Amino acid sequence: MLGKGVVGGGGGTKAPKPSFVSYVRPEEIHTNEKEVTEKEVTLHLLPGEQVLCEASTVLKYVQEDSSQHGVYGRLVCTDFKIAFLGDDESTLDNDETQFKNKVIGENDITLHCVDQIYGVFDEKKKTLFGQLKKYPEKLIIHCKDLRVFQFCLRYTKEEEVKRIVSGIIHHTQAPKLLKRLFLFSYATAAQNNTVTDPKNHTVMFDSLKDWCWELERTKGNMKYKAVSVNEDYEVCERLPAYFVVPTPLPEENVQRFQGHGIPIWCWSCHNGSALLKMSALPKEQDDGILQIQKSFFDRIYKTIHRPPYEIVKTEDLSSNFLSLQEIQTAYSKFKQLFLIDNSTEFWDTDIKWFSLLESSSWLDIIRRCLKKAIEITECMEAQNMNVLLLEENASDLCCLISSLVQLMMDPHCRTRIGFQSLIQKEWVMGGHCFLDRCNHLRQNDKEEVPVFLLFLDCVWQLVHQHPPAFEFTETYLTVLSDSLYIPIFSTFFFNSPHQKDTNMHQRQLSLPLTQSKSSPKRGFFREETDHLIKNLLGKRISKLINSSDELQDNFREFYDTWHSKPTDYHGLLLPHIEGPEIKVWAQRYLRWIPEAQILGGGRVATMSKLLEMMEEVQSLQEKIDERHHSQQAPQAEAPCLLRNSARLSSLFPFALLQRHSSKPVLPTSGWKALGDEDDLAKQEDEFVDLGDV
Amino acid sequence: MWWGGRGQSFNIAPQKEEPEMGLSGPKSVQESRMPEPRSRRLSSCLASGCLPGEQILAWAPGVRKGLEPEMSGTLICTNLRVTFQPCGWQRNQDTPLSSEYDFALVNIGRLEAVSGLSRVQLLRPGSLLKFIPEEILIHGRDFRLLRIAFEAGGLEPQAFQVTMAIVQARAQSSQAQQYLGITLSKAGQGSGSRKPPIPLMETAEDWETERNKQGARGWRVSTVNERFDVATSLPRYFWVPNRILDSEIRRAFGHFHQGRGPRLSWHHPGGSDLLRCGGFYTASDPNKEDIRAVESMLQAGHSDVVLVDSMDELPSLADVQLAHLRLRALCLPDSSVADDKWLSALEGTRWLDYVRACLRKASDISVLVTARVRSVILQERGDRDLNGLLSSLVQLLSAPEARTLFGFQSLVQREWVAAGHPFLTRLGGTGASEESPVFLLFLDCVWQLLQQFPADFEFSEFFLLALHDSVRVPDTLTFLRNTPWERGKQSGQLNSYTQVYTPGYSQPPAGNSFNPQLSVWDWDLRYSSAQILQFQNPGYDLEQCPDSWLPRLQVKCLNFLNSLDFPTGSCCQTGRSERHNVLSSLGKAPHYSSAAVTYSPWLSLGRQMS
Repeated sequence: MLGKGVVGGGGGTKAPKPSFVSYVRPEEIHTNEKEVTEKEVTLHLLPGEQVLCEASTVLKYVQEDSSQHGVYGRLVCTDFKIAFLGDDESTLDNDETQFKNKVIGENDITLHCVDQIYGVFDEKKKTLFGQLKKYPEKLIIHCKDLRVFQFCLRYTKEEEVKRIVSGIIHHTQAPKLLKRLFLFSYATAAQNNTVTDPKNHTVMFDSLKDWCWELERTKGNMKYKAVSVNEDYEVCERLPAYFVVPTPLPEENVQRFQGHGIPIWCWSCHNGSALLKMSALPKEQDDGILQIQKSFFDRIYKTIHRPPYEIVKTEDLSSNFLSLQEIQTAYSKFKQLFLIDNSTEFWDTDIKWFSLLESSSWLDIIRRCLKKAIEITECMEAQNMNVLLLEENASDLCCLISSLVQLMMDPHCRTRIGFQSLIQKEWVMGGHCFLDRCNHLRQNDKEEVPVFLLFLDCVWQLVHQHPPAFEFTETYLTVLSDSLYIPIFSTFFFNSPHQKDTNMHQRQLSLPLTQSKSSPKRGFFREETDHLIKNLLGKRISKLINSSDELQDNFREFYDTWHSKPTDYHGLLLPHIEGPEIKVWAQRYLRWIPEAQILGGGRVATMSKLLEMMEEVQSLQEKIDERHHSQQAPQAEAPCLLRNSARLSSLFPFALLQRHSSKPVLPTSGWKALGDEDDLAKQEDEFVDLGDV
Repeated sequence: MWWGGRGQSFNIAPQKEEPEMGLSGPKSVQESRMPEPRSRRLSSCLASGCLPGEQILAWAPGVRKGLEPEMSGTLICTNLRVTFQPCGWQRNQDTPLSSEYDFALVNIGRLEAVSGLSRVQLLRPGSLLKFIPEEILIHGRDFRLLRIAFEAGGLEPQAFQVTMAIVQARAQSSQAQQYLGITLSKAGQGSGSRKPPIPLMETAEDWETERNKQGARGWRVSTVNERFDVATSLPRYFWVPNRILDSEIRRAFGHFHQGRGPRLSWHHPGGSDLLRCGGFYTASDPNKEDIRAVESMLQAGHSDVVLVDSMDELPSLADVQLAHLRLRALCLPDSSVADDKWLSALEGTRWLDYVRACLRKASDISVLVTARVRSVILQERGDRDLNGLLSSLVQLLSAPEARTLFGFQSLVQREWVAAGHPFLTRLGGTGASEESPVFLLFLDCVWQLLQQFPADFEFSEFFLLALHDSVRVPDTLTFLRNTPWERGKQSGQLNSYTQVYTPGYSQPPAGNSFNPQLSVWDWDLRYSSAQILQFQNPGYDLEQCPDSWLPRLQVKCLNFLNSLDFPTGSCCQTGRSERHNVLSSLGKAPHYSSAAVTYSPWLSLGRQMS
């Protein structure tokens, strides 16, 4: 594993290493210092990765312990990650993590994964940013994947502290230019290593062929056509090179408002109804332009409202639905519940856990997204309507809702390849601004909104409620959510396919980088909704769609009917959205909190039992076959990760076995000792160490 | 993992029988002004499902609503219960009660009649129905809901009659009432000696067997309470230290509240013991000898023991009752709590808080007993509520035997039923003042453990649900009496003991003369064999089973340690205690953090059924 590294070449003495674990006083450190540098652990660097600064004799606290337990080592900051290299390898020898990332080690934090950095000055915790006057004795790093690292700098040389702390702060928090992304250094250096996996059939939707294939698959090719009008991003930089529009739509319409106001096809249902999306027309004050927009819109509207097209229902996601700011606020509250520095904090939040969860309203936002997706599903499935999703740039909630609808209605999207193709189609090609929404460049914190994570959480609810309907597991989703912050693959690091193509292309040709065009500002703190569109559409459509009360009834009936029937996992799939049914994605959010692990328990225990039984059935089958052929086949025992269920944690595969400490906090009141008081007191001490056995 | 709603949990297709031809002799059915045309065949059909002594008061055809598929059938009110009988479905004589459609009169928590969209009348015992109902809603105290829509078209009087009959029957029923006939008929079927499914801990032999199983060598079965003259709430037999004489026990127990002195609950193979006792009787003035006797009974040969105040840090009985009421209100289908306020509403009930407190305390005690090999005495003033809860939980956490179907039922029988938990009072049978569903709190704790360690329990959550529901079915005396003494009095077996007093171990009565009492563990009263099969947890890891290769009744001394796969290196196997330590720290330490404590199964029921 990375970060654990290899013992450095030079004087690799195999003498018994002094344990640097726990309770080492500074005096001892100084005497041991030399030895430390001798058995330096080499840092594993990726192609193109460069070390920027480092500090030695840093003490990394073992997380769950509020006491001073820890491991000494080096803290290194490269242009890709912050890595801690422990000196004491004995703690690393054990195969403790069930799950290893090939790129990111247990003690590695990619620069993009850093969320907040805190310093502790005289027991006080402060957020660190900018230039520091005073350097902290302890560094706490909160990661976007919710890990928490605590590094003690008390025994580190002063200049090293200065260098590492300001280095880390600068490289993680200062605004960056796109061209400085590690992605480019890596792409240049590792060009030859890119292996295209022939087995990977994920449809990338970067060619006309892919779109035609999707049209054919969903039988949408009767009424919709793929166009290449934007082939060189001449019409619009927000749109992909190829996309699909209603067949009768003249291509020059696309150019008219740079792709705005054009219904773009997402997906077709088996009954012919389709899911469309549209980015709103630019807001104008000028009456003349408004007139032009209106007549343009009338034309568009006529096109999509003539047979063979179904009745269109417009869902304006910019108004009457979630705002991006709501999502941002909710998530920032929600994540605090899991960014826990020590176990005291864990137990403190525990008392009010449910109301804290609720007050973050993250779960409610998930519920609202799922509900909206069910409503749209109902329109398409039961009422045979086309649904047009409308959003300012059609690249945030549009992506979320349209993907959810497809996931519920199209079983193909529930396979792994299908799901990846869906993300590629709706999010990557759909122009979701990953760069801004993940705030990879640290240019504008306000733009940082975890829309994609919200989507994954919605998907997790579906997976959790209907596991047999999905080819992938929650672990897949968790890993996918982590990869948002690993700047090696270009998928989640651009705002649009155009931005990606121009930058990656130029970089690969080693041309001097032109000033990268900053994407058009799409501030979401819009004061008013786009009245124009709302009025234009609203007036026409209001007479066609049902009143909202009726809509609610339709929804209720559709929802209740579906849930009262046995589930067809290869058909329409609806989630439960009642209060008790929306749950916390424990594997992602709780995986680093030892207190929340259940060793040998949780769903994993049932799963491993199931696998065991399947294995047994298989081996029995083999035995039968063997007898049938009266041949002796070698007994092959397939090693199984999930064996030894008693040892697996409920948060498998992320949990660390050795980390677990079972230390019941004995309430001091209410225990009366009969007999030898002293003996009991002595035993209490022993008791504290129980977890270390 | 919750396998679908309550409605589906036991949804085994109703047994269709051949349409009954020929009248099979109408029995004593009171047909009060029932419309003639279709009723004769129907009523005879209905009567065939009656319990002995049961009388049909009224019935009306209706449709069960709220669950798919909607089912048409007949709503029947008898002097014992309200039941819905789907068309073409006949009661199986082997399972005279239906777990799905029967509502014992005492189980009816709320009755509502609905007419049109807006007219709803809440029917209390004694109230008069103001209109002809189109629909009737029966809310069970066990969170179930039966919603029946009556058929229109000339049958309205019947709808009215059946509703009024329910109202009246409810007014006349009492909590302590039992389906008497069932015991007789069922017990009669066994023809001859019928062994109870699990030892009822009513004979000295049962206690002796159990003591041997636990390997409690320093303990003996005391017969001092054989005539219930030490304490009526105590079982006839219990375990006391070998060295203590019965006369000393009699004296020492007098200094405890209600005579409930220290008794062994469970012996840990590592050598430590778990004891339970009541509070010290404040007015007593023990002399030196008594003090010595009490002390030696508490210490039971150990140099030091820990005395745990069971009431400390746990909810009071009133707290439990209040939380349960709130919880039930929250789970009613018409609960006004919005989905986005569900979590705080749930938190507001404090029920899960109490579950966590219990699990936490039990796990602390379990570590003391197993890892520290320290004897623990649970002391609660009454010794009949939280002591039972804690002691059962500790055993579930520490002893794999208790996690088998057989072991769990024996555990409940020993620590709750025989130990004199006042079920009748706590479940509301003697007025509301002392009602407090401690037992349901315990079941919820067990459910949490089952959720957390699904491979470690032989029983499924269906089993827990069945046990939960059985609490409100008055078919056996298990939950209908407060003490073993009352239970024994009722079933008439007391005489056979008290008349012939034999010192030492009394002989178990000969099989034929003894009419064994039915208990809640006779599942076939209420559940079909297909349902009973679902009590087994398919995910149970047989390796966890203490002796899966042996017949269950011969559970020997604990040898569970061999079957566990210890991670080498992290455990220094220096001795027994070390290994226990690993066991409890690795496996069975329950998680009582909110993140781990899930919403309880019977929470979502009302919602599922609505």
